[in-house]
Amino acid sequence: MGTFTQSVAVECAQDGAPARLRWEGREYVLAERPLRWFERRRWWAEEVRAEKGRGPGLVDHEIWRLQVSLARAAHAPVRTLDLAHHLDSGRWRLVRVHEPAVAGTLRHTA
Amino acid sequence: MSAFPHLHVVSAFSAHHGVSWPADLAAAAAAAGMDLLACTDRDGLYGTAKHVAACLRHGITPIVGVDLAVRWAGDEPAGRVVVLARGGRQGTGYRALCRVVSAAHARTSGGSAGGDPWASVAEIAAAAAGPVPHAADSSRPATSELAVLLGPDSDVGRHLARRRTAAGAAALRRWRFALPAGTPHVEVVSHLSAPGQRLDTGHAVKMLRAARAARVPAVLANAVRYAAPDGAATADVLDAVRALSSLDAVHDLQPNGQGWLKPTEAMHRIAREVADAADERPGPLLAATRALAESCAIDPETDLGWGVPRVPEAAVVGIEGDPDAVLRRRTLEGLAARYPDLHTGAGRFDTGRAARDLEDRAEHELGIISRLGFAGYFLTVAAVVDLIEGMGVRVAARGSGASSLVNHALRISHVDPMANGLIMERFLSDDRSTLPDIDIDVESARRHEIYHAVVARFGSERTTLMSMQNAYRARGAVRDAGLALGMDEHEVDGIAKQLWRFSASDFRGALTRMPELSDLARRIDSGRREGRHQLDLLVDLTERLDRLPRHISMHPCGVILSDARLLDRTPVQPSGMGLPMSQFDKHDMDPMGFLKLDILGVRMQSAIAYTLHEVERTTGERIDLEQVPLDDRATYEMIRTTHTLGCFQIESPGQRELIGKLEPREFNDLVVDISLFRPGPMQSDMVRPFLEHRHGWAPAHYPHPHLEPVLAETHGVTVFHEQVLRTMDVMTGCGLARADELRRLIGGPEERRVEAFFRSAALQKGYGLDVIDEVWATLHAFGSFGFCKAHGAAFAVPTYHSAWLKTHHPAAFMAAILEHDPGMYPARLMVAEARRMGIPVLPVDVNRSTRHVRIERIPSHPEVDGRPAGHASPDAGHPDTRHPDAGRWGIRLPLTAVSGLSDAEVDRLDAGRPYASLADVRDRARPTARSLERLAQLGALDCLLPPGGASRTDLVHHLELQHSATRSDAPGRAARRSRSSRLRQVDGQLSLDLPDTELTALTPLFPDPSRDAAVRTELDLTALDVTAHLMDSHAPYLDALGVTRAKDLLSRRTQSRVLVAGVRVATQTPPMRSGKRVVFLSVDDGTGCVDASFFTEAQHASGEMLFSARLLLIEGTVRRTGARAVSVQAVRAWDLHRPETLPDPDYLDATRDRWRAWLAADRRAATLRRRGVQVPDAVPDIPHHSTGGWPVKVRPDVALPMAARVAARPAPAPASRLVPPA
Repeated sequence: MGTFTQSVAVECAQDGAPARLRWEGREYVLAERPLRWFERRRWWAEEVRAEKGRGPGLVDHEIWRLQVSLARAAHAPVRTLDLAHHLDSGRWRLVRVHEPAVAGTLRHTA
Repeated sequence: MSAFPHLHVVSAFSAHHGVSWPADLAAAAAAAGMDLLACTDRDGLYGTAKHVAACLRHGITPIVGVDLAVRWAGDEPAGRVVVLARGGRQGTGYRALCRVVSAAHARTSGGSAGGDPWASVAEIAAAAAGPVPHAADSSRPATSELAVLLGPDSDVGRHLARRRTAAGAAALRRWRFALPAGTPHVEVVSHLSAPGQRLDTGHAVKMLRAARAARVPAVLANAVRYAAPDGAATADVLDAVRALSSLDAVHDLQPNGQGWLKPTEAMHRIAREVADAADERPGPLLAATRALAESCAIDPETDLGWGVPRVPEAAVVGIEGDPDAVLRRRTLEGLAARYPDLHTGAGRFDTGRAARDLEDRAEHELGIISRLGFAGYFLTVAAVVDLIEGMGVRVAARGSGASSLVNHALRISHVDPMANGLIMERFLSDDRSTLPDIDIDVESARRHEIYHAVVARFGSERTTLMSMQNAYRARGAVRDAGLALGMDEHEVDGIAKQLWRFSASDFRGALTRMPELSDLARRIDSGRREGRHQLDLLVDLTERLDRLPRHISMHPCGVILSDARLLDRTPVQPSGMGLPMSQFDKHDMDPMGFLKLDILGVRMQSAIAYTLHEVERTTGERIDLEQVPLDDRATYEMIRTTHTLGCFQIESPGQRELIGKLEPREFNDLVVDISLFRPGPMQSDMVRPFLEHRHGWAPAHYPHPHLEPVLAETHGVTVFHEQVLRTMDVMTGCGLARADELRRLIGGPEERRVEAFFRSAALQKGYGLDVIDEVWATLHAFGSFGFCKAHGAAFAVPTYHSAWLKTHHPAAFMAAILEHDPGMYPARLMVAEARRMGIPVLPVDVNRSTRHVRIERIPSHPEVDGRPAGHASPDAGHPDTRHPDAGRWGIRLPLTAVSGLSDAEVDRLDAGRPYASLADVRDRARPTARSLERLAQLGALDCLLPPGGASRTDLVHHLELQHSATRSDAPGRAARRSRSSRLRQVDGQLSLDLPDTELTALTPLFPDPSRDAAVRTELDLTALDVTAHLMDSHAPYLDALGVTRAKDLLSRRTQSRVLVAGVRVATQTPPMRSGKRVVFLSVDDGTGCVDASFFTEAQHASGEMLFSARLLLIEGTVRRTGARAVSVQAVRAWDLHRPETLPDPDYLDATRDRWRAWLAADRRAATLRRRGVQVPDAVPDIPHHSTGGWPVKVRPDVALPMAARVAARPAPAPASRLVPPA
């Protein structure tokens, strides 16, 4: 598992859950129902301000765990990606790629 | 789709847990279209009344409950659960809730160390079942009185979180059998945290499955701690502060920021996620939630008794028969005693005008009271006053209660409303039907005794103390924010000390405006440039914490009196003093229908009582202050000297200046003085015209001859509410009751209506337009700041009495001031004042000092005899100090003045007096080694030293040497006895009169400590400079500099340039008309106080030392504002403890040119301002921040409280010791 902060383009379904995404020039679709949670941030160490009124995104960020496969290659292996959804900007960033294969083959692209 | 009801919501009144105010939660719920909302504060119903009020405002139905720790048995915890009251059942559900909460707190003993509250499951079960078995009463619904939510923090939830499924299921079954049917519910909560973390969806699913398996209804909640997502960071900080830890180290931080009041759609989405995973549909979960919420819907009126006042039952008050008749009889009896001259005996008044007026007034008031049905209330207050007087405690009404003749007759108030022109309608009228507040002042030292007596008299089922919420203010907020960020404690402390009373919610704004924060602002900037943002975060977190409640404590004066059902309507918990206190505060009293009596402990009342006691103890003279005439010339002469330190209400710097201008000559002058010394009059320039008329510099002006009788007592200036009422009545004929209703509307949104009525009615009565314009302008301006004359008159009585005692019994009075510390100043200033008055202050002495400050007759005193001539005081030759034996009264400091002496040590030292030898002290008083050394250092053992033998220094060395052998022992160990085998004497046994062989054997080596060393020791160990004034050691430098002493200031020309110096005794920032902050700083130099004002420029020139320095040197110009009124307008100040910043001795000469230039510029600016030209300030304005009180009371760090009082005070800031430079 590696840690990234790479931008990803995501298309969402009506209920707000991701449905398709574009990453490193390729299109992916979801192979399983996505999992969502809110993960704490150590904002007091990572942020420069925490003023009153500063709401979503300061204390936690929304993480989606997606099992995706290539849109154009239905039999390609399913990959597991963790995406952070920044609620204030609406942007999606890739935070982790889970490699089912051997550890140590991670490629840090950030 | 119906709105989601949140059943588990804590408010900010859950100290160190909840973030949002009930009003904000209700507003958020209303905005989200919700119709039901619960408030379930932790451990109590602290936010309940505010929640209900907020819900009513927003059209939401309130639900009330508590988040409470529970146990199966004392040693078997069951986690935390939410207990909700069922609603719509005439208060039985709410009563059950109150009883459970009170039972949980009955196990604690109050205070922070009193243990945590918890309820047993059996108690909850019994309360839920209700007092009557359901089957026996078919009219009652068969559901239980309470609902219990078993959520993530319950034992069920905790088991399931640890994957102990079987244990969780077993716990749930146990709950189901333990509680009445319909009571237990499983609370399903998901904060959507990462899988495996606390409050994740997986846990919620397990809870739902367990509920289904056990057939216990499940409801969905969100365990809400903040109204909106932005509260999450504040909740993190509170989690850290609660654990006294930094955010990095705290282990039970909330898993994420999802504990907010989520809207219906978001809650439904959670329901879907959880239900899906549990293979069911979300409908049943949401329906059960809704159903439970509806069964807990509270009807404020029928369930809580909202807004309906309840007074004790007549029989309890001692009323037999018709309360109106009883009140009439008691009033007439009281009047006969109060006005014996107008009385012919046999229950009849004479036929004179005054007697008729008195009778008419009494009938008028009794009529109003009877029509409102308040006789029982007046008799209740009278019963309390009787009780207090019966205990021999001084008691007097304060405030508008003094307006009533009935109160005067019942001995509730001591002000004569007839002689002082007070109006009943200002207090109570037919048009005003709310229970009036009667506030009574008692001796502070006997306050607790009185509370116990009131509870005993009315019964603990009808009486409880009121509580108050203590909230974060700037300093506490910055300290805890620093703690959460893991900052260095000293760094944070340094910042906290720079925060001068302002609302920390605008900390960042203040950084740009306040000179004392400029250094901090620079550090934030430089940190930011270097990529360090901790100080930025500190500012943000401080703003977040500001005003949040920290803990609950006993209110200083509120006592709740009600009928026998009081404890069904408020939960109670132990207070620090042992009596129970309500969980509701003063804002909740009216809505909850509680009758609150303010029994306020006033230190001055204790000081007055103590003075009388000391006079009687030493001379046998008994003084009855009620018999002291209010026109004593000597007293007013003393007041006019402005040497009023210690006197009630007129000792503050601003008051001393006002006294100097006003020069009071009679009692009414004191009433006027106290009424004028308010933000409004001071701000609106009322004082200057008043003084001009009073001193005859300008003729009094009346808008119309009809108003002359109304305004004559204040020379045409409207000062009192009573004058507004009479003015209205004279010009419109509206009657006094209506006039008071109209007065209350002035300054509010409905003022226009009042104006329209006033203008048309006055026009009809034939007043000219210009008269109406002028009078209305006054009334309009008055609306914002008027003062009730009854308040002023009630205050003026103790003011006069304290001044009379200071004049005629100065030593006893100053001893009482030191004993009870009633004023705003540090005790050491009162020592200086006594010294200025020529009263010797005698050091602690083991053979003479007791537990209390006492006066003692002394033939002569080295300090007095050896005084420099300049120190002689005009008060020295006072009657009190003349005595046949040519001695004088001195003030002996008590043993309690020595810091570090325990109560038990003080008791033993006091009981064992007199001592013949050091060994005798050791044997019978058994002080610790350290305490004995302290006593020796202070000279308290000098009396045991052989004449011509060893000195105090030798004795201290001897003790230190002797104790050093055992120094490594634990502190608190008794002093090692010189002959340890010797048997200890029995307490109370007198020692043999043998010479002190131990001390005579000491070889004299050293001289006694120098004066400066002695002062240093005294300040260290007692915080009082007794041997000499603290400033004396600075005299050489100050003399070289040409510093002017306080006593010489009055002889300096106005506008002349001076340097003054002294110890800070007061710092005030009262609100000013300009809206800018002006700092008033008073220093004491041993000859009196110098009061200096710092305007914007001077604040910038002085910088941060303005609020932190203890010894100050101040440059400024003399301002003479009245015959005896003088102050200094400061230009700049220096910290005497920072020698590197101090000016050279030739400063005044060397900077003469600069001074002339400054003065010329200042005068030019003043001239321009007078012409109305806007002068741009060279430096940024400093806005005034709300100080929340007038005047602001400050105890600077130098004002170390006397040792014995430390414990009685709310946690004093760590005080640093004051050390004069060697």
